[in-house]
This record gives sequence, C-alpha cells and structure tokens, in this order.
Amino acid sequence: MMRFLLLLILPFLFTGLINKTKALISGRKGAPIFQPYFDFIKLLKKGIVISETTSSIFQIAPSINLACTTLAGLLLCVFHFEGDFILFAYILALGKFFIIIAAMDTGSSFEGMGASREVSYTSLVEPAFFIMISSICAIGHIYSFESLYKILSFSHMAWSLIVILSVIALFLMILIEGSRIPVDDPTTHLELTMIHEVMVLDNSGVDLGFILYSNALKMLLFTTLITSILTPHSLLGYLIVLFIIAVLIGIIESVTARLRLTHIIEYTFVLVTIALIIMALTLLTIYGGMI
Amino acid sequence: MIILLISIILFVFSSLAQILFKEKSKAITFTLFSGLATVLGLIPTTIALFQNKTFFKTVNFNGLIGNVNFVLDPLSAFFVLIILVISFLAIVYSRKYFEQYLQLHKKDLSAHYFFLGLFIPSMILVVTVQNILFFLISWEIMSLSSFFLLLFDNEKKEVRQTAINYLITMQIGVIFLFIGFILLTLSTNSLDFASFQGHITNTIFISLLIGFGIKAGFVPFHTWLPKAHPIAPSHISAVMSGVMIKAGIYGILRLLTFIEVPSLFLSYLVLFIGLASAFFGILYAITQRDYKRMLAYSSIENIGLIIISLGVAMLGLSYNNSLMAGLGFLGVFAHILNHSIFKSLLFFDAGSVLSKVHTTDCEQLGGLIKSMPYTASLFLFGSLAISALPPFNGFISEFFIYLAMLNGISTNNHFLFPVLIIAIGVLAFVGAMVLIAFTNIFSSIFLGTSRSEKASNIEKDSPKSMLIPICILVMFSLLIGLFPQYFMQVAINPANSLLPAPLIFPAQILLNISIFNVVLVITIVAILILRKVLLKNKTIAVHKTWACGYDKINSKMQYSNYSFSRPFLGFLTPFFIRELDFKGIKDLFPKATHFKSKTIDIFEYYLIRPVINFDKFIIQKFYWVQSGNVQKYLLYGLIFLLLVIIWVVKK
Repeated sequence: MMRFLLLLILPFLFTGLINKTKALISGRKGAPIFQPYFDFIKLLKKGIVISETTSSIFQIAPSINLACTTLAGLLLCVFHFEGDFILFAYILALGKFFIIIAAMDTGSSFEGMGASREVSYTSLVEPAFFIMISSICAIGHIYSFESLYKILSFSHMAWSLIVILSVIALFLMILIEGSRIPVDDPTTHLELTMIHEVMVLDNSGVDLGFILYSNALKMLLFTTLITSILTPHSLLGYLIVLFIIAVLIGIIESVTARLRLTHIIEYTFVLVTIALIIMALTLLTIYGGMI
Repeated sequence: MIILLISIILFVFSSLAQILFKEKSKAITFTLFSGLATVLGLIPTTIALFQNKTFFKTVNFNGLIGNVNFVLDPLSAFFVLIILVISFLAIVYSRKYFEQYLQLHKKDLSAHYFFLGLFIPSMILVVTVQNILFFLISWEIMSLSSFFLLLFDNEKKEVRQTAINYLITMQIGVIFLFIGFILLTLSTNSLDFASFQGHITNTIFISLLIGFGIKAGFVPFHTWLPKAHPIAPSHISAVMSGVMIKAGIYGILRLLTFIEVPSLFLSYLVLFIGLASAFFGILYAITQRDYKRMLAYSSIENIGLIIISLGVAMLGLSYNNSLMAGLGFLGVFAHILNHSIFKSLLFFDAGSVLSKVHTTDCEQLGGLIKSMPYTASLFLFGSLAISALPPFNGFISEFFIYLAMLNGISTNNHFLFPVLIIAIGVLAFVGAMVLIAFTNIFSSIFLGTSRSEKASNIEKDSPKSMLIPICILVMFSLLIGLFPQYFMQVAINPANSLLPAPLIFPAQILLNISIFNVVLVITIVAILILRKVLLKNKTIAVHKTWACGYDKINSKMQYSNYSFSRPFLGFLTPFFIRELDFKGIKDLFPKATHFKSKTIDIFEYYLIRPVINFDKFIIQKFYWVQSGNVQKYLLYGLIFLLLVIIWVVKK
C-alpha cells in the first residue's frame, strides 16, 4: 500500500530528477527538481483550448488514460491474483487506445503521425513483457506479480543472469513506453521526433496535465517492477533504485542521440530477443538442472 | 426437445408463409413469427444449458435409414442459444435496414426472408442432429440458404461471382466431410454419432478438421470469408460471422467428444493452426480499407483465438493436465459467446454506417461521430470489446486463454514449456495488432473530418430499431465484462461435457476481475467528474486544429487508413503482398498522378491460385469435348450406351 501511495506521489519527482541530471551534465543549473509539480498545478488551474474538429472523445481520453494508469499501479502494488500481469498490460492498452483515438480525433496530420508511430513502436512491448513475466512465473508456479517479489534472487548463477536480463528488459520498456531517448525525444515535437509529444499536440490545460502525469506514472510503473525484482521488501531500497534509474535515464539522454525512425523497430526487437533469452534460461534452469 | 423441434418447424413455416403476406408487412410478420419461435426454442435450451440436462428425441424413418437421434445436450444448447439470440436480433435489425435500402433499390424481400427462415433452423439442426446423413443434409441446407442470402444484390456481377465462390468453397468443404464420414462409417458400420466413440483416427480427424475448417474459416481455408462479407446485407454478415462459422467449431468440438485423449500431434497441429489464423487474420485486417472486409478478417483472427484455446485444451488432455484442459475449453466457449456478441454488434453497426454513406471504403469516410453519435459510440464499445480491453467481455475470454496457457506451463514438460510461452507472446502480439486495427478503423470512419461528400451529407443517425439490437449487444458485452462470475457460468456445462472430470468454476479469479473492472469504471467516472470540477468557471476556447502555424488545413491532409497502418506494416512485409501502382511526381511542373495499392492474401496467391491454374490447365485440354455440335453429343450418348450394354452383357 505504501508503495502505491509513493507511486502516486512520485511521478513528477522522477521526471524532475531526469531533467535535473540532464541540466547538470550539459553544464546548466537547471530547473528545480520539483518544477514538474509546479507545472502540473499550473496546468490544473488553466482553462482548455479544444479543436473545432474534435468530438467528446478528445475530452474524455486523457481522464480515461489517467484512470487506467493509476489502476495499473494499484494492480502492481496492492492487488495480486493469478494472471494480474495480463490485466496490467491490457489496462495500459485501454489507456493507449483512448489516447490514440483522441489524437486521431483532431484530424491533424501531425497527431495522426504520432499516433500511428506510437502504436507501431510499442506493439512489441507487450509480447516481450508477457514472455518475460510468464517465464519468470514458471519458476515458482505463481502466475502473478508476486513471483517477482518472491522468487527471483541472486542466489544462483542462472538466476542472477535472469535478474540482470529482466532489469535490462524492463529498463528498455521504460524508454519505449515513456517515449524517452533513444526511441523518442520528450523535449520536442519537431518533425523528426514526431511520436509521443506530437500525439498530444492539441491537448491543453487539465487534459495536458493528466497526460503528463500518466506518462510519468507509466515510467514509474516499470521502474517499480525493477525495484520489486531488486529490492522486494525495503522501502529505502525502493527509493534508491528509483533515484539511480532516473539519473541513468538522464545520463543516457545527455550522451546518446535519438535513433533514426527506421531503426526504432530494430531497437524494440532487442527487447523481444532479451525476453526470449530469459525464456531459454528459465527452460535451462527448470529442465536442465542448472539450479 | 419437442419444443425445440416445434420452434424449428415454426421458423420453416414463417419462411413459407412469406408468400402470403403483402410486401410491406413481410418484415414485421417474419419478426413476429421468428420471435415466437425464438422464445419457444429458448425454453429447452436454457434448461439444458444451465441445469446440465440432456434432451433426446428419436425419430424413426422406417427402412430408409432407421432411427435418427436429435440431442440437446449442454454443448448443443450453447450453440442453439447463440443461434437463436443473434438471429432474432438480426431479424429485428433487418426491418429498418431494408426500409432504407428499398428507398434506393426496388426489390422483393420474400426470397430473402424465405431463405433466412430456412437458414436459422438449418443451423439449429446442424448442432442437434446426431446422424451423419441428416447432419450433412442440414449442413447443405445451411450452406445453400446462406448462398441465396448472399445473393441479395444479385444484379451486381461482383456479388454473383463472390456468391459462386462461396458456394464452391463450401462444396469443397463438404467433400472433406464426406471423406471423413465415409471412413468413419466404414469402421463403425453406423450412421449414428453415438457409435463413433474411439473410432476417430488421425486421418479422419484431419479430414473432418479441414471440412469444418473451411466453414469456420481458419487459415489457410479462409479465403471465402473476406469476399463474402462485404457483399452480404449487414445483418446477414452478422449472422454468418457471429453464428454460422461457429458451426464449424461445433463440428470439431462434437468430434472431440468421441476422442478420449487426443494425440499430441493433433493437439499441436490445432494450436499451430490457431496461432496462424490469429496472426494472419489480424494482419490482413490491418491492411484492409474496406471496413466490412476488415471485420471479416477480424473474424478469422477470432476464430484463430478460439482454435488456440481449443489447441491448449487438447494439449491439456494429451498431457493429462486437467486444469489446463478445463480452462482451455472454458476459453473456447467464452470466446465463441463473446465473439458472437461483439462481432454481430460491429457488423450491425457497420450496416448502420453503410445504410447512410453507401460505401464500404474507409478512405471516403471520416467525421461521422458528429452526424451519427450513437452509431459511433456503439462502434467504439464494440471495438473496445473486440480489442479484449477491460471492462468489456472480450477480455474475459482472452484471460481464460492466457490462464490456460500459464497453467500449462507448469506441466512438467520441456517441449510444451517454450511452445506455450511463445504462444503467449504471439497472443500478446496479436492483441497489440487488434488494437492497431481497431483504432485505425474507428478513427478513419468516425473521427477527424469527412473525406468525401458521401460522409458529410448525413442528416441524422440511424433509426431506433436498428440501434436497439446493437445496444442490447453492447449491454451484454459490458455486463459480461463487469460480472463474469455470473455470466461465464454459461460456459461451464458445455466445457464439462468435453472433460473427463468436471472442472470447478474459477469463480474467485473472475470475482477479482469483476471487482477490478467495477473499480475501473468508478475511477473513470470519478476522474471525469474531477475534470469537470477543475474546469468549472474556466474558459473552454474552441479553435482550429493546431497545424504548427499552417492555416489552410483540409481533410485530405489527415492521416488516412493507409498511412496509419503503414509504419507498422513496414516491418511485416514478408507476410503479405502489396501491389503498388504509383508513377511518382516528376518534373518541375508535375502532371496529375495517381496512387493505387492492393493487398493480396499470400494464401490466395501461393496456395489457391496455383491449384486453380493447374485445374484450368488440365480442363483446357478437354475443351474440344464440348464443341457445341449436336451430332457430336449424340455420338457421345451412343458410345456411352454401347459401353453400358457391353458392361451389362459381360456381367
């Protein structure tokens, strides 16, 4: 429960940390870490501008997306049952469905482009996620997120490999789902990086605030998955891992460039490959006597 | 059982009675009669289904074939329930649909209702009769009457061609059924289904699997489906896609009841067919710009999901993992039910669009949500349900399939393990593709601005009697999603009839999902209210869509159906063929140019076409036989008679 509350409070701290790291590396002083919170509050106070082309879908979509992301967090931290990770993935998909049709609702070529790219590039995340989680679950025969908390450890060679690979895979998922470099550039919506940012070009005020929050929360969800593998029980460990990952994303964004659009799909294939390797490793662990 | 037979007779009677009524009252009298028949039929069906009872009726055809058994067990009752409910909704829907249609074309409806009145009881007979001969007869009536239903727009050449294609494909399917059944009767010496127990060999199973598969439309026997649906009247598409193709699934399931433990080979084969159907079905759905065709391809995908679940269940039986088998069969029935709900819903809705815009081409539509808000929101619900998103029913059945696979993983087998995990991956990828397909289709029909005159001149939404059947289906879809622990009880008895030991209904897991889905709905509503509160007394300005400073945006600049799917399809090119006809823009002062793209089904291109070409090649050699010369034909007759005489004399 504590984790869930933290999850609801921390998203903007996470983005704030990323931005601060980027600023420090590029030699700037940068905005305060809490800046995203100030922006968010300001956005909530504003009115909205909507396009005349849009229908009510445009207005309800950000709220639905927010509800979905929040409940996915609930599923991750509090509410465990057999097959919960399936519901987790599908509930995130529900949010995505609405954000996409909201983008298409504006009738803008830019937003259509963003929606089309976002949906294409994230299409491989779900399969990779399922292959990975169900492989890990198979070790302990618990088919829920609990298995991440309970089973994985560094006690064996094969298991530590699985842990490391899972962490890498989840980290890649943060970058893809959170639309960060090298998949997407969150700071611009210029033509070359027209993916996520351009998809929400027409949103403003409260809606934009909701979208920013959901997106940060989504990154934090995958980060929480990493922490639940690495430090399943300690809250302090949770915060430390969270800090490290935020800084890491900041460093990556400072030192690497965004990938060319045609290469992004190859990048997401890396994710599937890692998931398949995890499956092969668990196969070896269970049937090859590597424990 | 008698009541069900009366209901069948009533359907046939109402179809014959069409001749007596006036043109205007045909639809309404047919609705009344079939409504009565539906209610009658539902009584024994629900009893059989929910109380796990089996009704028998033996009719004696003296001398000819002896006793013919009719059976209404939970397995049959499950299908009868779907047939009755969906068909009735389709009939209710058809009245206004035709009214609008008849304003444009002069047409006689009696033939249509006549065949509809034969089509529905023939489907009921298919799932209840327990005798090979009668099964095949009702199967043929089903195929033939649906053929005539397809021929509604028979003055169009394209419609006639497609209908003939459908008929031929169905006959090829029947040939396989014949082969299978002949082999069966050779080994059992009986026409009765009950005697098949233990006689189903792999050859028989595969032959019948192909026969039933052609009706069910799984890859690679699916090619008739995307052709037939766009030309059929929308409610017929709905019944065909939602109900009729399930008759094929019924055949396979009935076959399984005669097999104690399916062989590993068959189980893996079925799983593989399912995966291929799901993947290719939805891939081709993404490539389509004709929305009815797209829905047809999506049916192939959903049949694929059903077959995947069936494969998993069979694997569970083969590996003696009862939980996996149970959940697998539960997934089969849950998805059959759910698919018939949301697919009929979507086809009805597509018909509502079609009756207003008179085109099935998405690239000419857009912005319909403003002129047809009800149709649009119902379509949205249907899309959410078919994309297996909570809180709708599609998620529940997909969840069963995943759960069955996950439970299969713990079977201690090193070959099954990777197969199932990869199957989970494929299923998840298919899920992502469904999302692409349906966001694409929904936004290109309903969102943005209209791309042609046809879409911009709509005055009002479709009439109520067309929308109410859709609303009923949406309600079912939402209720099943919100309270699966009650509604999924429907699937437990038929699933148990296929299992060696009865499965305990997984109520706890469904209760969890139910709670979660209710919480989801509440949260969404709460956040929407919060948004409203936040926006109180704030300005809501309405402006043009922001186009980065550009002022003269028009509807042609929108992302179209083609462009939306382009980036995704880019990396799946080996799996389909796309013919492009585009000269490009040349010179300083470019001339008018055009762009045309056509997606070709690789199964049709590599599998069906060579067979047809070979056939043509052989047949061409015999053209000379049919010269049109009467004397020659008389000669053939003479030669034939001589041969017969020689044969008789010799004997």
